[in-house]
Amino acid sequence: MKGMKKELITLRVNNEDYEIFTYPNKTLLEVLREDLMLTGTKEGCSEGACGTCTVLMDGKPIRSCLMLAVEAQGKDITTIEGLSEDDELHPIQKNFIEQGAIQCGFCTPGMILTAKALLDENPRPTEDDIKVAISGNVCRCTGYAKIVKAIKESSK
Amino acid sequence: MVDFVGKDILRVDAFDKALGSILYGPDQNIEGALWLLAKRSPYPHARILSIDTSQAETIDGVVRIFTAADIPGENSFGIIPVTKDQTLLAKDKVRYIGDAVALVAAYDLKSAKEAVDKIKVNYEELPAIYDPEESLKKGRILIHEKGNLLCSSRIIKGDIEKGFSNADIIIEREYRTSRLEHLSLEPEGGIGYFEDGRIVIIASTQNPHYDRDDVARLLGLSPDKVRVIQCGTGGGFGGKLDISVQGFIGLAVYHLKRAVRMVYSREESFLTTAKRHPLIMRYKTGAKKDGKLTAVKVDIIGDTGAYASYGLAVIMRATVHATGPYEVENVYVDGKMAYTNLPWCGAMRGFGVPQIAFAHESQMDILAHELNIDPIDIRLINAFKKGSVTATGQRLDHSVGIKESLYKIKEIRDKYSWSKKKGERLGTYIGVGVGSMWYGIGNTGVPNPSTAQVELLPDGSAILYTGAAEIGQGSDTILLQIASQRLGIAIDRIKLVRGDTLYTTNAGATSASRQTYISGNAVMDSIDHLEDILKAEASEQMDLPSSELIVKDGKIFSIKDSSKSIDIFELVKICNKNKVRVIGEGRFDPPTIKLDPETGQGVPYATYAFASQVSRVEVDTFTGFIKVLNSASAHDVGKAINPKMVKGQITSGVAMGIGMALMEEFVPNKTKSLKDYYIPTSMDMPEIIPIIVEDKEPTGPFGAKGVGEPALIPTAPAIINGIYDAVGVRITHLPANLERVIGELLKKEGA
Ligand code: FES
Ligand code: FES
Repeated sequence: MKGMKKELITLRVNNEDYEIFTYPNKTLLEVLREDLMLTGTKEGCSEGACGTCTVLMDGKPIRSCLMLAVEAQGKDITTIEGLSEDDELHPIQKNFIEQGAIQCGFCTPGMILTAKALLDENPRPTEDDIKVAISGNVCRCTGYAKIVKAIKESSK
Repeated sequence: MVDFVGKDILRVDAFDKALGSILYGPDQNIEGALWLLAKRSPYPHARILSIDTSQAETIDGVVRIFTAADIPGENSFGIIPVTKDQTLLAKDKVRYIGDAVALVAAYDLKSAKEAVDKIKVNYEELPAIYDPEESLKKGRILIHEKGNLLCSSRIIKGDIEKGFSNADIIIEREYRTSRLEHLSLEPEGGIGYFEDGRIVIIASTQNPHYDRDDVARLLGLSPDKVRVIQCGTGGGFGGKLDISVQGFIGLAVYHLKRAVRMVYSREESFLTTAKRHPLIMRYKTGAKKDGKLTAVKVDIIGDTGAYASYGLAVIMRATVHATGPYEVENVYVDGKMAYTNLPWCGAMRGFGVPQIAFAHESQMDILAHELNIDPIDIRLINAFKKGSVTATGQRLDHSVGIKESLYKIKEIRDKYSWSKKKGERLGTYIGVGVGSMWYGIGNTGVPNPSTAQVELLPDGSAILYTGAAEIGQGSDTILLQIASQRLGIAIDRIKLVRGDTLYTTNAGATSASRQTYISGNAVMDSIDHLEDILKAEASEQMDLPSSELIVKDGKIFSIKDSSKSIDIFELVKICNKNKVRVIGEGRFDPPTIKLDPETGQGVPYATYAFASQVSRVEVDTFTGFIKVLNSASAHDVGKAINPKMVKGQITSGVAMGIGMALMEEFVPNKTKSLKDYYIPTSMDMPEIIPIIVEDKEPTGPFGAKGVGEPALIPTAPAIINGIYDAVGVRITHLPANLERVIGELLKKEGA
């Protein structure tokens, strides 16, 4: 890239610190996927409209396609890869599987992280709370009903 | 006894998907892979005078730029063998905004973008056509040399004029639908490399074997020189049946013999992949006072855009299904598909049937209101039953669950007393609408076989080999359930090898709701064959004629003396020792009869799915906003191999149907992103009651048919009829967005 220099940035992702030598105009999504090879975070639209790129930043869901990686320095980032421990599924992941909330699975990582942020803040959400919380995460496959059910189950 | 069919087995792919570890097309990467990016036409119709890549080639990071002259084989592809009219890289002419004219391979995407900007293409603009009826007028400029009519299809049954003269009432209306985008959340993507003298392509696809054959054709290679591997596929809905990145990746690997990757941006995916065909449908329906249909005449004009893709299949399906799931003695249907200079259209969940169902179900609803008959009853009066004869002259002898589906939704509607009433807020009204459908499983009147193999291993496990693409609909799980039940081996003892053209054989496309029925049957057939092999081996070992042997509970018994038996895995060990693998080969091709080109008579499908839906909608007369409140859909799937997944498909279809009915419209030259193409979110979803009807199909695996596309089809009709019930306006052009609803309300007030 002409006229632009790579910079060293540090990111804390899934409780690990990374030093990455990269362009300052790269989005967090690009750095996660291309530099850290964390491809569980998806790119469905690149303009903040689909929610597949959702990650947690200090526990809050954000769209990593809308944020520069440099802006994420000093924050705690959680991606889908950081949710399970040694392949031991997080309860939300388990409920997504058991309720049949996964079809093609492309929306799943973003959906699950959005659900986690919701449940951390509001452990007993109503069905409407859940619908509102995931309204920015599009799913083309499931019709949402089982996703809502899986999140509801996870609140028990 | 194992029991895996009819059970809510958890999806076998869900674990990797929940972990985020499954790799989809855009996730594929190989260290050092070059990026590919296409240069595309800014004009809807133009002659290419020259292409100058010299400046672009000097950009740092650019490795090579390809044009049509670099294509070594036939520069024409397309899913239907008789209509391969699409170029990978345009040669003389571009036919829509987005036609690819050159391909850049570069070290990084940034350099590829710069190079694409620097390629100079000299065009001579030609007049463009945007309307299919205009396109078919005499003297119009030709989009393709052979003419602007892609194809036509006709169905003639009985005497149409007599049918109308016997009618007490005749309803004539015109209906229109819009271009729609599949919007699988995963954009098209993949990688390719050269290995063992072969071009290997790993991509998200609905159709790996077709991809292999058409890429080989483009490159002038024999198909065994190309290997296609289906990776994780984030939705398809018909949009990943045609070739997208696969052709470009193949071309680059052919020349460069090194790894390359290509991922479509969302905008590229919007502009350059298939859409749903907009149809214009002119209906004339005659009926007696008691509601019995006497005649249906339909004229259909479709817009396939710049290329054929599945246009032929869509117009055939639309014409065949034009009567709806009803007995009609006199039928005349004429369908034409025209080229225009708009984005090309292909298959999208239902191949023309969702469009035609919107029209035939609106007609039924008008009749019901005019004749003052309950909308469910008028359907019951006309619905197919065993022994009914369709418009193509096919006698339906079994698995005709349409009436049952109507009874089921009637039960729900009456139980909850869903009926027309005022809404809670000022200016809102609630109405109830009904929609029914039928859907032929598999391709229309052409051979569309699937093949599969099942191998037994000496450790007591098995391997199922299938070419059937898993795109999120669940075929991996369903085929394993079928194999497991038929083999009598637990599902976790069967390994799946799927969608790799090197190790699996052609299962046909994951389309037309055909994998459960057709590939499911191929799996059943492979196990029949496997048992023959085992019996032959046992006959030698046991010294008994194989006609005396039966397979049961993992053993082979003599029918005469059940104390004589041998364990099947013992036999496998013996065979393996003799260096013989125990593999059953399976194949199934649904029995169909080609339709007569003049009259459309024949047997287009071996079996049909049926469904009915009732939806309760609220219309806000101030804003035109429609909210679907409740919905119950009853689907005759033959037999639900996995009821939970069938219900998942039904809910999925209702969501997509809400999109089609109320919000989705691809506007050429405007729609480029999710910001100007709305699809349903969690907030748009009603309470959904999915109901499974099981009228077993004797030729299906364990009685199963299919549900993927049917799930969507009755939704838009039920909603549109619900709007009429609520406020008395009939939307005849989908989607029923705010402007259209308000427009119709104002018209009604004025009148
Ligand atoms: S990729 Fe970020 S919202 Fe769609
Ligand atoms: S499961 Fe496919 S997009 Fe949600």
